[in-house]
Amino acid sequence: MNEKQGLSWSASLFCELRTMSTESPSSVRKVVVHLRATGDAPILKQSKFKIAGTDKFAKVIDFLRRQLHRETLFVYVNSAFSPNPDELVIDLFNNFGFDGKLVVNYACSMAWG
Amino acid sequence: MSETQKNVWEGAVPLQIHLHESEITTLPPPPPALVLAPRIGYLPLLISLLKPHFSSTLPPGLDTVWFDYKGLPLKWYIPTGVLFDLLCVEPERPWNLTVHFRGYPSNVLLPCEGEDSVKWSFINSLKEAAYVINGNSKNVMNMSQPDQVELWGSVLNGNLETYRRVASKLKLGTFEDEYTENVSSVLIKSPQSTGDTDVTGQVKTGRIPVRLYLWTVNEEFDDFEGAPQIDNWDKVSYINRPVEIHKEDGKYFSLNDAVKRILPEFFPENFFVIEGDANINQSGEEGERSSDPGSSFNAVEIAEIKFVRIQGIEPILEIPFSWVVNNLMNPEYFLHMCVCLKVSKANAVQ
Repeated sequence: MNEKQGLSWSASLFCELRTMSTESPSSVRKVVVHLRATGDAPILKQSKFKIAGTDKFAKVIDFLRRQLHRETLFVYVNSAFSPNPDELVIDLFNNFGFDGKLVVNYACSMAWG
Repeated sequence: MSETQKNVWEGAVPLQIHLHESEITTLPPPPPALVLAPRIGYLPLLISLLKPHFSSTLPPGLDTVWFDYKGLPLKWYIPTGVLFDLLCVEPERPWNLTVHFRGYPSNVLLPCEGEDSVKWSFINSLKEAAYVINGNSKNVMNMSQPDQVELWGSVLNGNLETYRRVASKLKLGTFEDEYTENVSSVLIKSPQSTGDTDVTGQVKTGRIPVRLYLWTVNEEFDDFEGAPQIDNWDKVSYINRPVEIHKEDGKYFSLNDAVKRILPEFFPENFFVIEGDANINQSGEEGERSSDPGSSFNAVEIAEIKFVRIQGIEPILEIPFSWVVNNLMNPEYFLHMCVCLKVSKANAVQ
């Protein structure tokens, strides 16, 4: 029950961002982040979110921490590496995104050393 | 290995480290610690040297070590040499830092548990660089545990020979050095074709991982003493964009070309000048911008490169970028560049 409440509250933050038009040239470029569970990590009800490219990767990590109610999380891009939380989402998308999205894997224990 | 690489590995920053006054419980206060900190190293790696120096005066509590310069908490995952190039006010020597063993500012800094956190950050940066270069991180992920320990140890101890031996197994290679190649082909007049120039005369030599620390100023300054200092991390843009070396008609790709290519939002004219490959550069990922250049560049900022600082030097901007990469990159295969731009607003000439 509590899990669900937490989910909808956190998701609303992202929904707020999503309602902004991606077509308008003056708006900030949005990136689709695809959150994928690894190992025994719980699967999210909604796995794809739009986030401003100017946001730091830390925002994705914080979002996952709140969703999963866990302080310790391991968050990876493309099942390969953990980006520095200060890196911009737009840089990660441009460098490592494909099929129009950035794939972010999360695990409760270290998945890829 | 080049003389320059040795210099980079042996490079060190003279630090004078003071204990923060709130943590001094004894009289007289402890004298500052003088440390030569390796450029390619990280501040938390100095803790084992500093702790004995200050431990007798600390108040009771658990250690959570961090550093500041003139009140600005220092990001521990940035190599010490880069922090110095970015923040040290000229001509301050030694560089005066303050160490804290209490009161970690977790709202500004990422959590740090000493060497383990630094190693984790280093290995992940190495994997990220490998991904940029090869399109995957397999070579780093498949590295044996002893090799990984040896690689990290070589960085800790500044042992370039060991580093090169272990890092060569990662097959990340050096980047094609068009400068040296041009010189040797003139000198030797090799009968063999160079084999790497295709018919169009353009060669892609792969993507080079770059971390660019961008800092913009509006006012003019003539000397470094007059340069405005960075007192807030919000003033520094942390930009991670790979750059490709492009050769065109025998013209080499310079440091100036690289900076402008990494920062198209400040140097948009770059994209109109090189019409031929504008589509290649902007395909897909930059699609939105290229489809409607007019709306993006209505109020262009006129930018001028004030300086580019890499490994403590300010190379002339005409230097071949391949030389810069092969000689000045850090051991995790990222080239760290501190770039200061002077920006003034102006209406674009359409």
